[in-house]
Amino acid sequence: MQDTPREDRTVIGVYHLTKSFGEKGANAAGESALEDVNFQIANGEFVFLVGPSGAGKSTLLRMIYMDEFPTSGQVVVGQFVSTRMKRKDIPFLRRRVGIVFQDYKLLDDRTVFDNIAIGMRITGATPYQIKRRVGSLLNEVGLYHKRVAMPQTLSGGEQQRVAIARALVNHPAILLADEPTGNLDPDSAEDILRLLFKINSGGTAVLMATHDQHFVQTFGQRIIHLRDGRVLEDRTTNLVGNMSDRLESVRLDRERQKRIDREIKRQKASVLAPTKSE
Amino acid sequence: MFMRRIFYIIDEAFRTVKRHKGLTSISIVIMSLSLLMLAVFLLATDNVLKLVGQAEQELKVSVYLKEGLGNPTIEELYRDILTQPEVSSVNFVSKDQALESFREQLGDDADALDALRNNPLPHSFQVTPGAEFKNEESLKALAARIQAMPGVEEVRYGREFVEKFAAVVRGVYFVDFVVGFIVILSAVFIIANAVRLTVISRRRTIEILKLVGATNPYIVAPFIIEGAFQGGVAAVLSLLLLRIVTEVTRRAIPDLTFFSVEKSLIYFLTCVLIGALGSFMALRRMLRMS
Repeated sequence: MQDTPREDRTVIGVYHLTKSFGEKGANAAGESALEDVNFQIANGEFVFLVGPSGAGKSTLLRMIYMDEFPTSGQVVVGQFVSTRMKRKDIPFLRRRVGIVFQDYKLLDDRTVFDNIAIGMRITGATPYQIKRRVGSLLNEVGLYHKRVAMPQTLSGGEQQRVAIARALVNHPAILLADEPTGNLDPDSAEDILRLLFKINSGGTAVLMATHDQHFVQTFGQRIIHLRDGRVLEDRTTNLVGNMSDRLESVRLDRERQKRIDREIKRQKASVLAPTKSE
Repeated sequence: MFMRRIFYIIDEAFRTVKRHKGLTSISIVIMSLSLLMLAVFLLATDNVLKLVGQAEQELKVSVYLKEGLGNPTIEELYRDILTQPEVSSVNFVSKDQALESFREQLGDDADALDALRNNPLPHSFQVTPGAEFKNEESLKALAARIQAMPGVEEVRYGREFVEKFAAVVRGVYFVDFVVGFIVILSAVFIIANAVRLTVISRRRTIEILKLVGATNPYIVAPFIIEGAFQGGVAAVLSLLLLRIVTEVTRRAIPDLTFFSVEKSLIYFLTCVLIGALGSFMALRRMLRMS
């Protein structure tokens, strides 16, 4: 929409970011401290942010959408700089950064369509613009047929897709996803991941925090590994093939594993309870 | 753009009312009851003030003139009294008028007056002081000044009555003030808490609106409308209840009057304002928190 080509291709810059919460290292809300974190994310990149829970992934993301501010160091998102941020600028930053959470954070007092539209309505877009944009997003996430459903009637995977559509409604430069697959079964998780790849291939940078090493090992392009508030490693693996192919192989792997698990269970059951059959 | 914004705000405000019918109803009932308490107090005050006002109407200064004054002197006196700062109006009562009203007061015994050879009553002025001067000190000062004018025989202003009246009014005002303070404070406290309940129930909505980049006016405005709506409904309900209470009480106190239309309207608007303000305060606290 207002994407003007900039010389600087960096969409997120994190510079010597340190965050401390008093002496304990974590405050009452369970936020973890960070120490001297440095990295940049370029336009259109897909980055996994991994690390065990408590490593500071969520804190780092909150610092990027500026719900929290660094104790020292700096976060730069587009033209927004954390050290020069005014309270009234925050809403405009949030429109350039889409955010997705593990618990979807949908409003249960309105339909799927209205949940996605809310992000545009608050910008003063016309009903026509909203209808077009939300309609095309609903198609993109494959939920056009559910547009008048209430979120609580949807499956977890569907709710997360609504949340992703809402995050994209204002054409953000980057999508932040904090454990987006955390509450989902493997099949739905895979769908969500596939959707994120698709979005990324359309040019939106994605930063996805997860503690699921499995994903990362399989798809990892760029991985920022966080542990105890520090960047353990920041590496880019160039795996061959495209994302969809890799997803497919993961699916086959998992289905084979499932079959094996089922077989084992069946055999166990027949051994442990031989009289139950008749 | 402007109309769209208004539409958005109203839509959002009534979405909650519709969605949280139970909570909204409870909140409105709580508000109505505490407003009823406030309204009973206001109506009582209104009636007491009306009584005080009626009694004040009775407060007049009578100026009796000396015998045998010529018309020019009387006219000059009239002007002098009228130009006193405390005086709002002056009525001349001639000897004959005085006798006539005296006769009316006596009724059947008026025959006794026929025995009089000539009218013993003097000319007089009935002086009505301005509303803000109907207190002991002002009347005393005014009486003293008129007394000093030439041609004035005597000035009466019902001194004892004025003194007692002033004491009673002071007592009434004091009690009214203390009770009013407690009643208003508790009503505002209860209403603020009722409104806060609704706001807290929508903590998630606020959080999400902030995440998707809503500016504060977009977040706050629907709540203010909602608070105002609750205040307005509660005001109407409490007025209806008060009306019933008034009708019942009137059996014991027939002189009890209900609020005038203007006062009802002011009451309604005040309640709307309290609701809106309560919402705003609760929200502001929450917006700062997160």
